[in-house]
Amino acid sequence: MTTTTVSNRLTPGELIAGTRIIMRRELTAYFDSPIAYVYTIAFALLANFIFMNEFFLTGTVDMAGYFDLMPLLLAFFIPAVTMRLWAEEKKQRTVELLLTLPIRPMQAVLGKYLAAVGLFKLFLVSSLPIVVMLLVLGEPDLGRIVSAYLGLIALGGLLLAFGMLLSALSGDQIVAFVTSALVGFVFVLTGDERFVAVVDGWFPTLGVGTFLYEGFSVMPHYDNFVRGVIELSSVVYFALMTAVPLWVCALVLERNRT
Amino acid sequence: MIQVDHVTKHYGPTVAVDDVSFSIEEGEIVGFLGPNGAGKSTLLKMMCTWLPPTAGRISIAGHDVAMEPLAVRRSLGYLPEHNALYDGMRVDRFLQFIGKARGLRGGELSERVGWSVEACGLQEVYGKRVNQCSKGFRQRIGVAASLLHNPRVILLDEPTHGLDPLQVVAFLEFIQSLAEGRAILFSSHILSEVVAISERLLIINHGKLLADSPLVDLKARAAEKGQELEETVLDIVRSGGNGQ
Repeated sequence: MTTTTVSNRLTPGELIAGTRIIMRRELTAYFDSPIAYVYTIAFALLANFIFMNEFFLTGTVDMAGYFDLMPLLLAFFIPAVTMRLWAEEKKQRTVELLLTLPIRPMQAVLGKYLAAVGLFKLFLVSSLPIVVMLLVLGEPDLGRIVSAYLGLIALGGLLLAFGMLLSALSGDQIVAFVTSALVGFVFVLTGDERFVAVVDGWFPTLGVGTFLYEGFSVMPHYDNFVRGVIELSSVVYFALMTAVPLWVCALVLERNRT
Repeated sequence: MIQVDHVTKHYGPTVAVDDVSFSIEEGEIVGFLGPNGAGKSTLLKMMCTWLPPTAGRISIAGHDVAMEPLAVRRSLGYLPEHNALYDGMRVDRFLQFIGKARGLRGGELSERVGWSVEACGLQEVYGKRVNQCSKGFRQRIGVAASLLHNPRVILLDEPTHGLDPLQVVAFLEFIQSLAEGRAILFSSHILSEVVAISERLLIINHGKLLADSPLVDLKARAAEKGQELEETVLDIVRSGGNGQ
């Protein structure tokens, strides 16, 4: 029972084609409804407010303050994007329609994920006027800004993957939002020095806070990108922490059927 | 074309489908009759690869559902009982999405979408959003989507749900016109619909297949007992198949 016949295998071309079809449907769904517009405008307003506030306080021609505050904003914002991805499909029962088409669950997961990443990139595009403004006002470190944006895309990609998994597991949009936000905040807060000190204080002999910071938190890796340093360990961390929830999500969709 | 061999489905301690076997050949329209909760939808969900059987084997157009789910999905058109559609999509975009996901491209996609729109009478709602369509149109959109890729096997789970009586008559005629070269399993709990379209009936209750009989045989049996066909079918359901 473990072997499959040729007619059940997908060629790389078929794999990509199926993923692209799902991605396009998702993107169309975003832009056919107010979702893409409302989310992008809300994100742009919040993100630009954060930057302008920091910019006028410090008076420096860089985006350090902006990139420092982004993880917390994303921990709240990304779940708003991911909560509906599978929970809505399950509630409306379209998941049965989708997964009885000749596509694999992983293609559906990747298609939805890539569409969500596309929407997230649109969020980030809304902050490009800040870069233009800084270029007009002075000479910001462009290499560092590009590296920080890459870090932001990696962080967003990771949170999107976990949010999508939790949407598939919960089947309810509100539960998916709350659990995804919680996971996002844990990923971010475990990178905060004060949080690490407090948790280490609770279990002095175990060093739980330090363990979470070094082994789990996204922040040391994101901070590397923001400092303009792209380390292989950080790239591997983001790749693994994104691929694993996507893979588990496909497994959940394959097995959790009624 | 459809081969179901000793298929069983358990949900925990509940036996939803119990050792069911039957086969359907090309050109046949077989009515699948049973009360609500009899196990019809569960069996169809296993046939379309949505649910794995607990035991037994199902083959669709020569492909095993457990071993070759993608090949099975390419060979069959399935209209689920709840006929869930993407409400926010326009009908034309929805059909094109389903067609592309089923591997249709370019001229073939346009041709098949055009055929299904005409065959299912969707011209009136073609540019509308799915959630702006009446229940009858939604059902027809589901049927159109299930036929887009010209499948050799068609599984219809309560397909007339939401249609008015005139639409039901037209729909049954349309399904009959599709029989050539295909195997069609038509699931319903309404005897008159199944009788109107099928020459063979499968009767199921409590997960057990109680009868697999040509319609003429059932009619002869009813005549023998001086009963209406409906009474004979009810007797079979009540007796759990023992009265055969």
